[in-house]
Amino acid sequence: MSFVLEQLARFFRRSPKSGPEEVRSAFQDHYRNFRALLTANNNALELMSTAEEMLHSGKPFGMAFVGGDITALTVNVFKMVRSLIALSDGRYKELEDRFKIIADRVEAILSRQPVVAGSAFVLTMEEIDSGAVDQVGAKMANLGELRNRLGIRVPEGFAVTVLAGRHFMEASRITDEINRRLQTLDVEDLQALDRVSDDIQDLIRGAHLPDDLDHLIREHADRLAHDAGDEATVSLRSSAWGEDSRQSSFAGQYRTRLNVPLAAIPETYKDIVAGKYRSQAIVYREQRGYRHQDVLMCVGCLVMVDAVVSGVCYSRPPDDPRSPWLVVHAAPGLGNHIVDGTSAYDLLRIGRESPHAIVAVHLATGESANACLSDVHARELAQLSLRIEQHFGTPQDIEWAVDRDGRLVILQARPSGTLTPTNAGAAPDSASFEAAPILAGGATASRGVASGAVRRVKTQEQALHFPRDAVLVVETPYPEWAVLMNRAAAVVAESGQIATHLATVAREFGVPALFDLPGALSRLEDGQVVTVDATGRRVYQGCVEALLEQATRRPNLMEGSPVHSLLKEALGHITPLHLTEPDSPRFKPAACRTLHDITRFCHEKALAEMLRLGRRLGAKDKSAKQLYVVGLPSQWWVVNVDDGFREGADLSDPFIRIEDIVSEPMLAIWQGINAVHWDGPPPVSLRGFGAIIAQSAMNPQLDPAVRSSLSGRNYFLISRNYCNLSVRLGYHFALAEASFSELLSESYVNFTFQGGAADESRRRRRVHLLADTLRSIDFRVSVKGDSLSARIEKRPIPYLKERLLVLGYLLIHTRQMDMVMHDEARIDRYLEKMRADIAAIRGAAAANSGAENEAAQEHPAG
Amino acid sequence: MKQPKNILLVDDEEEFLETTSLRLRRRAFDVRTATRWGEAMPEVQSGWPHVVVLDVMLPDVDGMECLARIKAMQRHLPVVMLTGHASLQASVWGLEHGASDYCLKPIELDELVEKIILAYQDVR
Repeated sequence: MSFVLEQLARFFRRSPKSGPEEVRSAFQDHYRNFRALLTANNNALELMSTAEEMLHSGKPFGMAFVGGDITALTVNVFKMVRSLIALSDGRYKELEDRFKIIADRVEAILSRQPVVAGSAFVLTMEEIDSGAVDQVGAKMANLGELRNRLGIRVPEGFAVTVLAGRHFMEASRITDEINRRLQTLDVEDLQALDRVSDDIQDLIRGAHLPDDLDHLIREHADRLAHDAGDEATVSLRSSAWGEDSRQSSFAGQYRTRLNVPLAAIPETYKDIVAGKYRSQAIVYREQRGYRHQDVLMCVGCLVMVDAVVSGVCYSRPPDDPRSPWLVVHAAPGLGNHIVDGTSAYDLLRIGRESPHAIVAVHLATGESANACLSDVHARELAQLSLRIEQHFGTPQDIEWAVDRDGRLVILQARPSGTLTPTNAGAAPDSASFEAAPILAGGATASRGVASGAVRRVKTQEQALHFPRDAVLVVETPYPEWAVLMNRAAAVVAESGQIATHLATVAREFGVPALFDLPGALSRLEDGQVVTVDATGRRVYQGCVEALLEQATRRPNLMEGSPVHSLLKEALGHITPLHLTEPDSPRFKPAACRTLHDITRFCHEKALAEMLRLGRRLGAKDKSAKQLYVVGLPSQWWVVNVDDGFREGADLSDPFIRIEDIVSEPMLAIWQGINAVHWDGPPPVSLRGFGAIIAQSAMNPQLDPAVRSSLSGRNYFLISRNYCNLSVRLGYHFALAEASFSELLSESYVNFTFQGGAADESRRRRRVHLLADTLRSIDFRVSVKGDSLSARIEKRPIPYLKERLLVLGYLLIHTRQMDMVMHDEARIDRYLEKMRADIAAIRGAAAANSGAENEAAQEHPAG
Repeated sequence: MKQPKNILLVDDEEEFLETTSLRLRRRAFDVRTATRWGEAMPEVQSGWPHVVVLDVMLPDVDGMECLARIKAMQRHLPVVMLTGHASLQASVWGLEHGASDYCLKPIELDELVEKIILAYQDVR
C-alpha cells in the first residue's frame, strides 16, 4: 500500500460515520478554513518580501511603512494560526501561544519609546554642557559647552528640556492623533503633506500648556527680565534630538523665532515645538530614517544680541575639507538671512595659521573699505572657530555676531557636513569636456553631476507639482525647498551660497547644487533637458553622458538610520526560516522562532490535514486517487479537496483519469509537464553520476527508499481553482502552488525548489540557473544556499496559466541539468534548448488564449 | 458566490466617510455611514448591514469596545477593522474578538472591496 494511503487509513479507523450531508458540510468548513489559510499565507509571504526588499533597497521609508507592513503581516500570520487550529479541530492550540510570544517581541521593538534623561523641565545656560545633550539636544548642549568649558561668550538664557516637551505632548493627549495622521500620510503627495503638516501644527499650537510648565517658563522669563531688562527680547530656537549631529544636520527644518517679547515666550514655545511637523521636517525624517516620535524637541530661549554684523564661519570649507582657509560669510545686522539664502553678503577667507591672512573673495558693496567685518574681529573669529573645532574634534559650522559693544558672540556651533568622496562627482574643472556650457560660474553648494528636465519654481504652488528627477531652478535657495530634495535631480539657484540650509541638506542628500548663478531662471526653460555639473560649476544642454559617467550614486541615507535599524531588528523575529524539514522531529510549534516559521508550519500542517480529511470523514470522492494516464497508472496521485473532479466522474475505484479532472491550475501544470517530450536521462558521464551517488550516500533524505513523509510522493491536492503539487523527481523536491480567482488577493503562483543530488557547488549553480529562468518570466525569486523560492501574485488568470505551463515544463526538465552540469559546452546547449522550449510553450499559450477570446466574442453568452 | 450589498462605514473622519462611501456606491454597494457608536448602533441592531467597516478610534466608544458590542448583537455580522492605528496588540485583539480583518489606512479601494467580499464569504 502506498504511503499516502497508509496515512489515510490510520485516520479512517478513528473517523466517525456520518451522514452524507454532514460530511459535505464538515468538508466545506474545513475547505473554507484551508482557503483562508492559503490566502493569509500568501499575503504574509508577500508582506515579508516587501519588507525585505525595502530594507535592502536603499530607498527611504518611514515608520508608516514599517508599522503598516508588519501589522498587516502579523494579522495574516495570526489568521493562519487560527485557521489551522480550526482545520485540525484544535490540535495545534499551542501554536497560538508561540505566535503571541513572537508578536509581543516584535511589538516591543516597534513601540519602543525613547528614554528621556534628567528630571528638569528647564535648565539655565550655566547648567548646560555637552553632558546635557540628552536633555537639551545638541544645539543647546554645544552652546553650553562653549560657555562653561571654553569660556566663550554666548547669549544668556535657558533651555526648555526634552522632558518638558514630552510632558507637554503627553498632557495635551494629542500624540495618538498626530501618529494617526502621519500613518495615513503619503509624503509624496505634497498637497496632502502641507495639509497634514498644518493640521498637526495647529493641534500643537492650540493645545494647553500644562500649568506647572507654564509657571516655570514664566519664572525664567522674569529672571531674564531682571538681568537683561524688561525690554529685552529673546530668540526661540529648536534644539531637537538628532539635530546638528554629525550624521544629519536637520538644517533649517525646524522653526526659529527672533525678537520675541518675554511675555510671549510660552505661546512661542508651542510654536517652536509645532515646528517639528513642518512639511520639510516630516519629509527630511522620512528620507533620513528617523521616527517622528524619536525626535523630541527642546527649545532654547536666548537673549537677543543687538548685532551690528553677523554671519557664518566654516572652520573648514564643506566643499574642500583639506583647505588651509576658514570661510566666513558676513552681513550687517542680525538675522537668519545668510542661512536662509536671502541676502547679499561678504565672503572672506581667513588663513588657519597665524597671523590669519584675510582675503576678501567677494564683497556685497564691492569695496573693501565697506567690508562689514573688521580685520580685528575677523581674526578673533578665526581663533575662536579654531578653538571650537579643536575642542569638538571636527570641522565646525558656526553662527556668530558682533554686538554694539564690539563683543564677538557665538550663537551656534555644529559639525559641518563635509562632502564624502563617494558623492564628489567630477573634477572641479572638467576641462576635458569640450562642449560650451549654457551657464558657467556660481558657487558649488553640493558637489556632483546630474541630468534632468528643468523645472523653475517660484511659488509654493509650483513646488507642489514638482516632478520627480527634474532639475530644480529657483531664484533664492529658501530652506522650504528642502521638501523637494528627495525628488530633485539637481538644484540651480540664482543666489545663495554654501552656508545656506538648503545647501547643507543638498549635500546630505547627495543632490548636486549650483548656487549664485545669476540669469539661471531666464536662461533655462521648463522641460529643457540639461546636465548640471555642480563640481565644475557649469550647466550643459542635454544629457552629457561623458560627465554623468563620473557621477556616483547617491548616498544610502537609510542604512544604519534609526528606522532602518528598527525594521532590521523586527525582521529578525519575522523572516528567518528555521523550520525547513517537515520530517524532522523539530518540526513542531515549540520550535517556531519567527513568524516565517509559523507560516511554514501552518502551511505544511494544513496540507496534511486536507490530505487526511477525505478518509477521516469517509468521503470517497475526497480520498487520494492514483492518476491514470493513457491507460496506465502513473506515479502521480491526486487528492480532491473540493470540486476538482468532473461531476459525474466514476469515483468507485482508486484511480482517476486525467479527463475527469477539472482543476484549472492542475491542468495547466500537467500540460506543461507533457509539453515537450522528455527522452529520459541523457547519457551520463561517470563523473556526473559518481557525484550523484556519493551525495545520495551522504544524505539519507535523498534516498527514495526512505520515504518517510507526505513529501515522499508526487501528489496534486486540488480544487477547481486551486492546485498544490508536491513533487520528487529524481532527487529534487519541488512544490508548486497555484490559485486562480477573480479576486486578485487569491490569485497567485508559488514555487519552491530544494535539495537534489550533486555536490554543493553544482546544486547552487543549478538553483541560480533556475532562478534566472523564473525571473525571466517575472517571478520574484529569492535564493538561499541551494534552495529557491519564487512567487508571483495578484495577476489575471491567463497570465498565471502561462507561468504554470512553464513551471510544469521546468519540473521535468531541470533534473537533466544535473547530469550535464560539469560540462560547460553541454550546459550552454541545454540552456539554449530550454529557452527555445519555453518560448514555444509561451507562444502556444498566448495563441491559445487569443483563440479563446475570439471564440468568446463569436459566441456571446445567452 | 454570494456578494454583500449593504455596507456600514463607521469612522470619525468625515472626509474619509464621504470619499469612501461615494466610491463604494460606484461599485454598486449600498452604503450607510456613522461617525460614532451612537449612530452605528441602531443600524447594527436593525440587521441592515451585510458587512461593517469599523475604525479603531471613535469619539464616544473605543473601536475595540465597539467591535465587542457589534459581535454581542449580531454574532455573524462580519466586521472589517480599518484604521490608521498600526498596533499589533490591537490587531490581534480584534481578530480574537471576531473581526474578519484588520487593515491599515490608506487602503486602495480594490483591496477594500476584496476584504469586504472575503469577510462576507468567510462567515457564510
